[in-house]
Amino acid sequence: MRFLAGILIAAPLLGQHLKVSEHVLANGMKLLVHEDHDIPNAALYLFFKIGSRNERPGITGLSHFFEHMMFNGARKYGPKQFDIRMEENGGANNAYTSRDITAYTDWFPKSAIDLMFDMESDRIGHLAIDPKMVESERGVVYSERRLRVDNSNEGTLREQLDAAAFTAHPYGIPIIGWPADIETWTLDDLKAHFRMGYAPNNCIAVVSGAVTEAEALKLARKYFEPIPKQQPPPPVRTKEPKQLGERRVIVRKQAQNPLVMVSYHVPESRHADNAALQVFDAIMTAGRSSRLYRALVDQGQVAFEVSAELDDAIDPSQWVCNISVKPGSSTETAEKALYAEVKRISDTGVTPAELSKARNQLLASLYRQFKTIAGKANLLGRAEIYYGDWRMVNQFAASLEKVTAADVQRVANLYFTETNRTVAVLVPEEKGGAK
Amino acid sequence: MRSAALLLSAATLAAQVKLPPYQRKELSNGAVLLTVSKPEVPLATLIAVIRGGTEADPAQHPGLSSITAAMLNRGAGSRSASQFAEDLDQTGASFRAGSDEQSTIVRIEFMSRHADQALDLFASALTAPRFDPAEFKKLVSERLDRATSLKDEAGPANSAYFRTFYFGPNHPYGRVEDELSLKTLRLDDVKGFHTKYYAARNMIFVAAGDVSASLGVAIEKRISAIPAGARHEWIPEPPAPVRKGPRLLLIDKPDATQTYFVIGQPGLHRTHPDRTVMWVVNTLFGGRFTSMLNDELRVNSGLTYGAGSDVQMDRLPGATIIRTFTKTETTVQAIDLALSILKKIRSNGLTAQQLHSAKSYIKGQYPADQLETADQVAAILGDIELHGLNRGEVDDLFSRIDAVTVDQANAAIRKHLREENLQFCLTGAASKIKEQVAKYAPSLRVIPISTPGVRPPEF
Repeated sequence: MRFLAGILIAAPLLGQHLKVSEHVLANGMKLLVHEDHDIPNAALYLFFKIGSRNERPGITGLSHFFEHMMFNGARKYGPKQFDIRMEENGGANNAYTSRDITAYTDWFPKSAIDLMFDMESDRIGHLAIDPKMVESERGVVYSERRLRVDNSNEGTLREQLDAAAFTAHPYGIPIIGWPADIETWTLDDLKAHFRMGYAPNNCIAVVSGAVTEAEALKLARKYFEPIPKQQPPPPVRTKEPKQLGERRVIVRKQAQNPLVMVSYHVPESRHADNAALQVFDAIMTAGRSSRLYRALVDQGQVAFEVSAELDDAIDPSQWVCNISVKPGSSTETAEKALYAEVKRISDTGVTPAELSKARNQLLASLYRQFKTIAGKANLLGRAEIYYGDWRMVNQFAASLEKVTAADVQRVANLYFTETNRTVAVLVPEEKGGAK
Repeated sequence: MRSAALLLSAATLAAQVKLPPYQRKELSNGAVLLTVSKPEVPLATLIAVIRGGTEADPAQHPGLSSITAAMLNRGAGSRSASQFAEDLDQTGASFRAGSDEQSTIVRIEFMSRHADQALDLFASALTAPRFDPAEFKKLVSERLDRATSLKDEAGPANSAYFRTFYFGPNHPYGRVEDELSLKTLRLDDVKGFHTKYYAARNMIFVAAGDVSASLGVAIEKRISAIPAGARHEWIPEPPAPVRKGPRLLLIDKPDATQTYFVIGQPGLHRTHPDRTVMWVVNTLFGGRFTSMLNDELRVNSGLTYGAGSDVQMDRLPGATIIRTFTKTETTVQAIDLALSILKKIRSNGLTAQQLHSAKSYIKGQYPADQLETADQVAAILGDIELHGLNRGEVDDLFSRIDAVTVDQANAAIRKHLREENLQFCLTGAASKIKEQVAKYAPSLRVIPISTPGVRPPEF
């Protein structure tokens, strides 16, 4: 998820401030409301601050599993009813789990808003964890793992990269969970995890669309406020120790082309260097004029695709560069080309044109998320979680303007060092080799 | 209790949705320009829809329309490829060009304060691409790599094989670009395609979003300078491939732990009179989370992460498909279950309550899916113009959906969801499933995924 790329923008320039009202319910749940009557629809997004970051060996993947179990029946609305009632009233939904959060995303015509609040409060307050549903859903989640990890070369390599990049902090745990844990977690594990993660005081609700502040607040008071406050997840105390030298991982697998992933440890989203890192990321990989596209794809002809991720993160995280190496080309050449570009910024910095280009790309990226009520709901909730304040959507402009070429060069020197990197390489096996 | 809620939602959902007001203008060179203002966000979208697409690809050059589109921004007018990329990225604009079954679509989305630069980039890419041989070589090389690496992803690979297998080499929809076709493509083919199809009489333009009056004038001026050329004449409908019985193509990917499968049969074309009723039917069959296919294969049995169906509606009749994936060991169980659901919807038909739910769902999702953003509206307007439809396609949609009856739905099911002559395309570990899946079709072929290309021999 990269919405943050969009957040750093010169809003004053265009007067694109999002207007939001903010309330905290008696049980600690925070409610954000953004009115937009362009279409007769609304979006309700619920963000729970629980993810694979809150897991440990034995229960890896449980947060993601819960994302699935939340659709399998509660007290008032039994198994399947959440989806059946929602769809017959014109709504649709999805959900996603990350390292830090589990988010539930509902999109519906405004006529269904009362039902949506009722059903959400029912499952947050009174989820029924039916053992039969647990077994069936275990199969679904394992199928999702086969889809995203086991039968995907990128997925397989990324899992190994993260496990090597983090030796202590739970960001090394795969969000989908290790296979043995998916197969064996118990009903008691589930119950404990639910109690901890789904406390109302651990949740931010965002309503965006054809609804007034008064309507949304009334519904939140009626349906969400009665859910009792609970103990939220305990703080994650573990800090990743400083890396003392490059780490390397090799994966051998049937493949048409090699893959290289390089991870550098970088600070959390709230860190003062975040804006400079966003600019660094854009200059390296945004568009065909970016440094890495030019060096590896266009001129270098060593890769056919290059991209990078700077995820939103509560704790210190990573910048990960993904390189699809041309079949038959050398992964060493691809790696060297990446390191040469990193060194070029470390040694000689970036140009004023690159700086203004990055700002425009990030601004346009923010506006693309303003196009929909769903995009805005997602943006506001994530800003609240990762920056501690939804206003960052409107304010970060100034901090982007403050980023100088010297800042970009400084963060390149500080974080993008050999000692601080982990490299994972997927080496294609001959047919009939690894399974 | 549940039916009371249903009645309530029917009353509140009755409002019709309408396309926003827009202007349509035929320019003196034959191009059509549609303009719609939607200034909520300071972004604008400009698209060109060029008649042709896959239909216009010669049999020996699948992907020609798509590669021509991909060459547009690799150097145009006064700009080299790298200068084009630099100027585009400086404004933060996004440029995309590609082709579908019946058209090439070129699209730029930009911040309205950079409108002049964006229009210049867009117009020069469309009308004055340089077709530099060195850039062509790089593009073909990149696409060769992508075509090869597609074989690493069983799901997308299976979709490509299904197209060539189902439609066959004599149907334009059966022509899929692969590493073999790319090797025979010449730059002159691309130049010829551009000259013939990128002509004003063959193009539809849509400007949508934060479009000022002066930008509208500037767009019209640039478009008016395009040579008129000739309008592409649609090809006559090719004969449907003759299938004397079910066939099964099994793509062998020995390291797969999951089997991906598509079961196909004849679909509808874009303006077919049954298009609305089949939209409603497919919503219930495999078009949403609570659909019959997903409910059985995912929710009740845990066999898969997702199962569904699609009714392809392009200018020519496409395919109607059931698609899902499951672990190797449950391949037969999953296919059997999918076929039993097909049998069930045919024998039991649909109820009034099911129909009501599907109608509410389509109407509830439509505004956000189709009419919320400027680029969505631009796409709809381009589609309406391309297919010779009118704004009633949107403005009367809810009435047409409301008018669908149980009898109509069940008649459409009997006509369009058949159980005979099904065409199965599977990608998985053949040594583990070949014998078991042979029961679905006496006519069966196994092709190793390592075989170059995605075109199985006809059988």
